[in-house]
Amino acid sequence: MTKPIVEARGLCRNFGPVCAAQDITFEVRAGEIVGLLGPNGAGKTTILRMLAGVLTPDVGQVLLNGNDVVADPIAAKRRIGFLSGDTQMYQRLTPRESLQYFGRLYGMDEARLRRRIDEMIARLEMSGFAGQTCGTLSSGQKQRANIARAFLHEPDLLILDEPTTALDVVSGHFIVQSIRAEKQAGRAVLLSTHVMSEAEYLCDRILLLHEGRLVEQGTLAELLDRSKCANLTDAFLKNAGIQTDREAL
Amino acid sequence: MIRLHYVWIIVRKEFLEALRDRRTLFILIVLPILLYPMLVTLISRLQESQEAEQKAKASRVALWGELPADMRQRLEKDGKLVLSEWTGAPAALKQRLLTGAFAPPPKPAIDLEADDSQAHNPKEPDVEWTRVAQTVLLGRTVDVVLIPWNGFSAELDNGAAATASVLYDAVRPDSMKARERLTDALRLYRRDVLERRERTMGLKTGFTDALEIVPRNVAGESRRAGLMLGMILPYLLILMSASGGLYAAIDMTAGEKERGTMQTLLCAPIDSLEIIAGKFLAVWGISTMATLINLGSLAVTFTSIKMIPGVTMTVNPVSALLAFVLLMPVSMMVSALFVAVGAFAKDFKEGQAYLTPILMLLIFPLVATMLPGTELNAFLSFVPIMNSALLVRNVFLGDWHADMLFLTVISSLCYAMLTLVFAARVYERNTLLLGGKDSVASLLEFTRKPGDKPSAGVSLFIFAIVLVVTFYGTLALQKQGVATMIAVVEYGFFLLPALLFAQLKGYNLKETFSLRMPGWHGLIGSILIGLSAWTIAAGLFVRLFPPPESFTRALQKVVLMEDQPVPLGLLFLLISFSPALCEETLFRGLILSGFRRLGMWPAILVTAFLFGIAHASIYRLLPVMVLGVFLGYTVWKTRSIFAGMIVHLLNNALVVAMAKIKLFQAIIGLRGTEVYLPWSYIASGAVVAAIGVAFIATERDTGRPSAESARASV
Repeated sequence: MTKPIVEARGLCRNFGPVCAAQDITFEVRAGEIVGLLGPNGAGKTTILRMLAGVLTPDVGQVLLNGNDVVADPIAAKRRIGFLSGDTQMYQRLTPRESLQYFGRLYGMDEARLRRRIDEMIARLEMSGFAGQTCGTLSSGQKQRANIARAFLHEPDLLILDEPTTALDVVSGHFIVQSIRAEKQAGRAVLLSTHVMSEAEYLCDRILLLHEGRLVEQGTLAELLDRSKCANLTDAFLKNAGIQTDREAL
Repeated sequence: MIRLHYVWIIVRKEFLEALRDRRTLFILIVLPILLYPMLVTLISRLQESQEAEQKAKASRVALWGELPADMRQRLEKDGKLVLSEWTGAPAALKQRLLTGAFAPPPKPAIDLEADDSQAHNPKEPDVEWTRVAQTVLLGRTVDVVLIPWNGFSAELDNGAAATASVLYDAVRPDSMKARERLTDALRLYRRDVLERRERTMGLKTGFTDALEIVPRNVAGESRRAGLMLGMILPYLLILMSASGGLYAAIDMTAGEKERGTMQTLLCAPIDSLEIIAGKFLAVWGISTMATLINLGSLAVTFTSIKMIPGVTMTVNPVSALLAFVLLMPVSMMVSALFVAVGAFAKDFKEGQAYLTPILMLLIFPLVATMLPGTELNAFLSFVPIMNSALLVRNVFLGDWHADMLFLTVISSLCYAMLTLVFAARVYERNTLLLGGKDSVASLLEFTRKPGDKPSAGVSLFIFAIVLVVTFYGTLALQKQGVATMIAVVEYGFFLLPALLFAQLKGYNLKETFSLRMPGWHGLIGSILIGLSAWTIAAGLFVRLFPPPESFTRALQKVVLMEDQPVPLGLLFLLISFSPALCEETLFRGLILSGFRRLGMWPAILVTAFLFGIAHASIYRLLPVMVLGVFLGYTVWKTRSIFAGMIVHLLNNALVVAMAKIKLFQAIIGLRGTEVYLPWSYIASGAVVAAIGVAFIATERDTGRPSAESARASV
């Protein structure tokens, strides 16, 4: 078994009186896609942000390749790629310029940066719009540019927060395939999504969150078995304390 | 430690994006290049046409009384005054004026301060004929009312003084013009009458005049133009520079939050301080560009188009350059404020709502600088915005002074530093940048972390606060005498805040204030430096950059306590012991400690520079800085504040001894009245100081645990 890329150990985070995450412990290994599922307000984004090093946990520890993210966030962030569904690109920069900007911020040398930008543009089929300013691109094109930005520096860990939100089926499918390709390349992927079919298709393991707590985790088969549900949607609803249609009948 | 390479990457990207924004480009380039020529041309045309119209138009005079025929003829001679009898006067008033029912107004007393145009100016017209005249003038049927009082012609014929009232509306330009024409014509008539009387009486010409006063304005055109430019330019430049940075700041802060790119940026391996530094520098750069473009456009416009007929407002390039440099700290402060406050807004719209009032707030101090009689003084030199605007005005007038310039620049830099520290604090709040709510009050919260050490931001913050408080405190304490002032400043403004702040923040006091005894080398070195540093700090630098005599006298006055009979012990306590204790605690204690992360020489030099600035005079900056370098080096190498105190104490004690103790003067062969220290003293002092530095440099580091002992303790 490969060693964990990221380990969350007893993470807690409060915002005033609101507890957004409580005693969260899990790990993601290389070449593994782990799904983080939960209703709105369950604490998914807070957990992802703590893992990405942009929010400091009140209690607990995040280890990336065995190193504490809080102790050296800059070193940790170099090994993480973060993508969110509602993130836009800089409207007056082209995708190529945006990639150059972030590549430099991630400390990539110019030769490697040029090579990776060309690779990403070819792989994500962006050559048709890589020179247009992002303000003129469609949602799907923008999200491809965003993916290129998150994958550019070849991170060990990809943190994807609802990456297919507001995308059409074609663009969504394209992104799902890109995520699979990253898994094949041996990267650890932590994926938050509301699309159950996406989670069923992509995730090796699934974490179910409810009101800031991790209520269930395991493979899809284990979750369905333990919850006695036929599909992930029902298991999700059951864990969220909502009666399913089948149970209602 | 901020990595400048990453800051530069952010600056370049922000610049590129901002310069592709049409709104920024419009305010930055299009507006100044088009606006000023258009505006100035419009104003000048308007003024010219109004003036031409006024010149061509005859003034309408309501004549409420009877004039001698020759006088009337004289008034109407050139056709610029058209007299109409009793216009607007009701029959009753006419009757009363003709019958002499009103007493003529008393001859106004000579008031040396009075302004002719404001003569006899009650709040409201107080008698019937003034009230009626006011109504007539408001109705605009006439421009001025002339009342030759009852018996006017007879008085003139009898060789007495006849009285006439001229009633006008100072708010109406055409009424003012009519008044000017009428009084001029009346003066000319008066001169003729006097000449006639002198001839009749066989008196010499000019007998009745006795004295001719010929006023002459010596302010040349360039100075008048300087006044106009000095009033207009700071206002426009500060506002336009702030406007230039406004949209860029909103876009880089609230705009980034709205688009979600702020989160992406925070996920990148860069420090939040690098983000704020990059964004601040980009906004400041854009503001500076706006200042330059506006200055250039204004200079060309004013030089080529006469806004005020007859006055050429040529912008002197040296004055323009100096004005530009002086406005840099202002744009620095405004940019930092924009970037900090913009971060509180969740979207572009909210950003506009937050930042526009700041822009509006700038207008008040700027308008205050345009009020007549507002001059730059010590008090105003520490009022942000106003100080720079007034100084720029003085620069264009050509009467600025180095000391006032120094005070204005350091105070402006202080305020800029404070806003930068505030901005840095805002950007430490990731929750806020990620779109969460945070209040300004929470940023000002005093968080105590036991065992912590001060940062560079804390040092700058403390310094800026101490400087402003000390400056105004000193001004307020001036009447209390020098002794009280020094005591309050040293203990109340330097020592107390340093100790209180460190205690409240829970700093490790031993580390922060270097509370250790120096070793033998450190002790000997500090004594030698303390005895000799003055020969370089004061002796050499006074020779190289001699201060004006007025400054030397003022400094002597302080050292000698305004020649008051102060006991020598008290003098040493105030001038020697107190600064050694209090200034060292603040500067080589708290402030130097905050800069430790910068490395030895940057920390020593920055602290010495701030130490020089704190002495609030450009003439003391270099000597005090040099002394500060000696002090900083001593404390850094010995890790003992007491070594610094010894240097400071001896240095200041020597100054007192040289000024006050005759025996001491005799021993060292100086009278205390020498203009310059002889070169032999400077050379000897430098040798002693060098030996002292050598001792300090070889001080065994007793402060830090050795590698062996550290391992042993593990």
